[in-house]
Amino acid sequence: MKASALVAAGALLLTACGTNKTESGGTAGGGNANCDTSKGTLVVGVIAPLSGELSALGLGIKNSADLAVREANDKCAVPGYKIALDAQDDQKNPQQGAQAATKLSQDDNLLGVVGTLNSSVSLAVAPILSQNKIVQVSPANTSDSLTKGEDLNAPKRQFPTYFRTCTVDSLQGPFAADFLVGEQSKKKIAIVTDGLTYGEGLAAEFAKKAEALGAQIVTRQKIGEKDTDFSSVIAAIKPSAPDALYFGGQYPQAGPMSKQLKDAGLDIPVMGGDGIFDDKFMSLGGKDGDYATSVGAPTDSLESAKTFIEAYNKAGFQDGYSAYGAFSYDATNAIIGAAVTTINGGEWSTDKREDLVASVAKYNAQGATGAITFDEFGDSTNKVLTVYSVSGGEWVPAKTGTYEG
Amino acid sequence: MTTTTATVRSRPRITLAPTLAKPLAAAGGVLAVIAALLPWTTFVLFDNDEVNPSLQYFDAPFALSGYRLHTMLLGLAVLVVAFVPRIPGRARAQRALGFGIAAIGLISLIFLSYNGGGVGTVTAADGDAAFGAVVALVAGVLVVLSAIAAGITDIPDFPTRLPRLAAYGALVLAFAAILFLVAETLTAGGRSGVSNPYAGPTFLAFLGMAGGVLGALSGVGVVRWISALSERHRAFSIIILVLCALSLPLTSAGNAYWMTVATTIGVYAATAIGLNVVVGLAGLLDLGYVAFMGVGAFVAANLSGAATSKLGIELPFPVAALIAAILAGIVGAIVGSPTLRVRGDYLAIVTLAFGEIFTRSAQNDIGGLTGGSNAIPRIPDVELGGTAFNEEIQVGGLELPGGVLYYFMIVLVVGAVMAVFANLKNSRAGRAWIAIREDEDAARAMGIRTGKAKIMAFLVGATLAGLAGAIFAHKLTIASFDSFKFLESVTLLAAVILGGMGTIPGAVLGASLLFVLPEKLREFDDYRLLLFGLALILIMRFRPQGLVPDRVRRAELAGETATGKSIDEEEALVVEQEHDGPTGKKGGTA
Amino acid sequence: MTTLLQQIANGIALGATIGLIALGYTMVYGIIQLINFAHGEVFMVGAFGGLAVHRWLLPEAWQGDWYISLPLMIVGGVVVAVTIALIMERFAYRPLRNAPRLAPLITALGVSIVLQEAIRIWFPNAESAQAYPKAFIDAQVDLGPVSISASKLLIIVVSVALSVGLQLYVTKSRMGRAMRATAQDRDTARLMGVNPDRVIVLTFLIGAALAGVAGVLYGVDITNVDNAIGFQNGIFAFTAAVLGGIGSLRGAVIGAFIIGLIKTLGGQYMPGGTQYDYVWIFVVLIFVLVFRPQGLFGEAERVRA
Repeated sequence: MKASALVAAGALLLTACGTNKTESGGTAGGGNANCDTSKGTLVVGVIAPLSGELSALGLGIKNSADLAVREANDKCAVPGYKIALDAQDDQKNPQQGAQAATKLSQDDNLLGVVGTLNSSVSLAVAPILSQNKIVQVSPANTSDSLTKGEDLNAPKRQFPTYFRTCTVDSLQGPFAADFLVGEQSKKKIAIVTDGLTYGEGLAAEFAKKAEALGAQIVTRQKIGEKDTDFSSVIAAIKPSAPDALYFGGQYPQAGPMSKQLKDAGLDIPVMGGDGIFDDKFMSLGGKDGDYATSVGAPTDSLESAKTFIEAYNKAGFQDGYSAYGAFSYDATNAIIGAAVTTINGGEWSTDKREDLVASVAKYNAQGATGAITFDEFGDSTNKVLTVYSVSGGEWVPAKTGTYEG
Repeated sequence: MTTTTATVRSRPRITLAPTLAKPLAAAGGVLAVIAALLPWTTFVLFDNDEVNPSLQYFDAPFALSGYRLHTMLLGLAVLVVAFVPRIPGRARAQRALGFGIAAIGLISLIFLSYNGGGVGTVTAADGDAAFGAVVALVAGVLVVLSAIAAGITDIPDFPTRLPRLAAYGALVLAFAAILFLVAETLTAGGRSGVSNPYAGPTFLAFLGMAGGVLGALSGVGVVRWISALSERHRAFSIIILVLCALSLPLTSAGNAYWMTVATTIGVYAATAIGLNVVVGLAGLLDLGYVAFMGVGAFVAANLSGAATSKLGIELPFPVAALIAAILAGIVGAIVGSPTLRVRGDYLAIVTLAFGEIFTRSAQNDIGGLTGGSNAIPRIPDVELGGTAFNEEIQVGGLELPGGVLYYFMIVLVVGAVMAVFANLKNSRAGRAWIAIREDEDAARAMGIRTGKAKIMAFLVGATLAGLAGAIFAHKLTIASFDSFKFLESVTLLAAVILGGMGTIPGAVLGASLLFVLPEKLREFDDYRLLLFGLALILIMRFRPQGLVPDRVRRAELAGETATGKSIDEEEALVVEQEHDGPTGKKGGTA
Repeated sequence: MTTLLQQIANGIALGATIGLIALGYTMVYGIIQLINFAHGEVFMVGAFGGLAVHRWLLPEAWQGDWYISLPLMIVGGVVVAVTIALIMERFAYRPLRNAPRLAPLITALGVSIVLQEAIRIWFPNAESAQAYPKAFIDAQVDLGPVSISASKLLIIVVSVALSVGLQLYVTKSRMGRAMRATAQDRDTARLMGVNPDRVIVLTFLIGAALAGVAGVLYGVDITNVDNAIGFQNGIFAFTAAVLGGIGSLRGAVIGAFIIGLIKTLGGQYMPGGTQYDYVWIFVVLIFVLVFRPQGLFGEAERVRA
């Protein structure tokens, strides 16, 4: 009986056999068959949370980097080489991030690393990469201390290999304050934060500037990073009768917060940083009249941004590019672009890693978020910021400008 | 309800005539050898195979390396075991080998057909035939069936009263083999990543092979013999074990990456040993244990002179680590104090509550001591004579990878802890803990000061965790509340349970597995937690006593004795030969 | 004063949700002394079940009318929650029924992780928060100085009604008596003709159904859900059950209201503000367990080894 079952199973296997042989050959990264890739494969690493609650943002970073790599391969960007993406999960945990960084840095073909999402993870990752002279470009760390140290009045570069394409708290927060206090004349402001590095840092910078402009921070509240029912926080805010609320955190909480505020009879605008600049903010409850700041000029006015979005949508990723996709795309292109100059038609070797860092420092190109260059601390020189407001369920640019302190 | 038969071990339901054993084994062994010689896929799967042409899946037939070599060796082993007369525990060995062969076949089968877009990849397509994986799977099944036909017998006993030198020799050999196995396991499949899409399955196949061989050795009694020997010569064993661990950097795993991973494992192993005291020995379930590690990490960070810490105190690392351990121990005693009044599940919840309070407070930068959401970054490296611990070092002509000093440090710490705790179970305190675990009221009636003993367990466990946390903070250069969340506590608990509660080697093994596997299987990141949860369920269902079970626990949880016999058959034998604790009479409480 | 009253109202609304979950914890514990850690996830899965009904089963024409869509969503949530709970009971817990107490607790942790991850991975787009339909009257009700949303009022009403109903069922019906008998002494109950397996399944079923209802109502009130809502509310609910005296239905509900009030009032009036509101819940939990381990309404704990 056993034998007959085996025979039957075998027959079944034979009849049901299919393969993807014909369409294979491009399982990893596509690539232009006409390119010369005789010298091998170079690797761009990504460290981001690819699992867990922040995976939507992390996957946006990974996919956008993937897009940049695919485009580079299509264009035969680095002569003689094919480029591959090596994405590692950091689970938004510094220890996992450090392990991922050590792992990537063992790869002699590694050009550089795009990441991380969380500033706290970067603080564990950057020392390892900098010890190995590997360039790191973060699309999402907004904590000032990563580039300039704790004391912003006496800035000192922390990691020679660290760069970022996104903006920092000390620009975005005050820019928002200028708008909300200066232009919208909101003088009584409530601040709510989610207790994570991004939100806390941003809100602190916002508060400093807002108070300098004569506004009063009437109350500060902190919510749990997994909370969704804010009724008690709102009840605590309500007696102080603020005329605006600044939210230091991400859209999954900012949206419901905005809606619940309004439901509780506190119909005031909610403002936040690039963490809430996402279409999901509205679907989760963001209302007309809410504001968000984001880096760069509005995408409509920027040809390269439109190109990125089109290409991303065409590439068929499962997840959206999310808040940091464009920055990740730019970061990846900066590494690849710098690699082209560094290798300059020659051979890649780990000795060139230092040169690559220098090339990234000198990198200059138009990216999806605007002009991409870095200052002496590794921060993006792109200080163009835009305030968006929600109108008719969509983000509409309200003000574009440069923040100069 | 004082029966021990409640958790009867499930026995195979299939019965086969014993005469079938030999033919089945022969057929399986031969098939496995044949499988190794067959091609395994009908076409090349990934486009960068040109870059890496040595991949075993596409080698011409007869070219043997990697898992194909393993399949062949396992097959030959099956034949040897089947036909050499008077092998003790033959069926157990065959069963393990069979599972090993089947695992290699199955893993390859799934991986290849998934990535190849259908079973055509591993059978026949476009005129190419590749039945290697299928044949290996069939071979494995046949061998397992042969073992069932032969009937599973007891694990044999070997004499352990050897001349000292012979025993030492055997131990050195055994531990060297373990070192080799560890290094091979770490590097099996190569570096995973884009340039090597085979890393995951090749690694799993290696595990299948290693598991098969280890199982076979255990089946013929070698593993028991070695562990009995090492029990007899405990001091020598620990020295050799530490020496072996210290020479890991000289093996193929000697690079900065594996040093980092191994250091992390060491940190969690030390913590797990501490948790083992609390949960495994004293039976006090702790769901917030990682908080003690956190206390150690934050204390060490504050005393490290890190620019970002508020205190700005800089102490030499040993002093700081000592203070961290002591403070963690004190916190442990405080957290443990409810045990005076609270028992069982309620205690688990109290510890969970303490853990949550710790995380919350750390996140909110309580007293300015934890850096809040910014954490305490840039903790300086530990230094010894001007050498930072994360640097590469040269000893004589040897170049050792970066981070190797941290690794040495944690090995010495874990080794020292193992040495101290090896005898713990039989010490006065250890017996008191076990008595409390078994029946607290009876323990108290027998004159044990249960309150003191329980707080002592927490204190000892937390001290260890604090020490581990101090090393963790320096190695990682950042102390952040993110590292000390509920899930970490669950992972630690899982490590202790997986390894085998109440045994020190078990805690180390469990921690190693739970931290190596996710590293090796990064391809499955998205499913990591899901698999972890499933593993918890399956372990509790099928092997609650863990991989290296404590004898008492084994009797209690799996209803079987150390020889693998079922207790209900063996009840008469189980009744104490020794005097160190009641065995297998846990019923009546559930 | 207004703030105080408002926070009390918020606390009661929160307590109502927690109470529905806490009933499941307390019932299961009462019968088989298992901390079903995964019960919070049953609540979460129930919420997603309701969302699935709204998203894929309801014809668009019906989506606008809450009196049609809400009951159907609740049915969907309950069906999903009950199915999951029964699978869980059958395959994860039942085989361990005579194992030492540690085993089912660890299994429950495992089940909890699996359910959270399964939703995140396989429910479309659920890796981040999902908008939830407001399938009820979207209005605020003013009760004197206090303003509370209609959906929160609904939760309070439903919660109180279901708890009273359950209490009646357990005390008056034949099956309820069997449940109480099993809780007291499973072996004796078996001798008296009660089938403990059936009782246990029924217990899981009722607990899951209540959690399913709670999940859908929670989603409708908050208008968004993610895969983490179960863990957090589950912990609150468990705390409530312990506070009230685990095993006691009345205790669980009252405990839940107390927890709700501690969270809102603690966040308002205790030092540290809302960022420490959980801490107060856990502090209360620890004190209750240490000084009155049987909870407010529980019987003195039976001695267990």
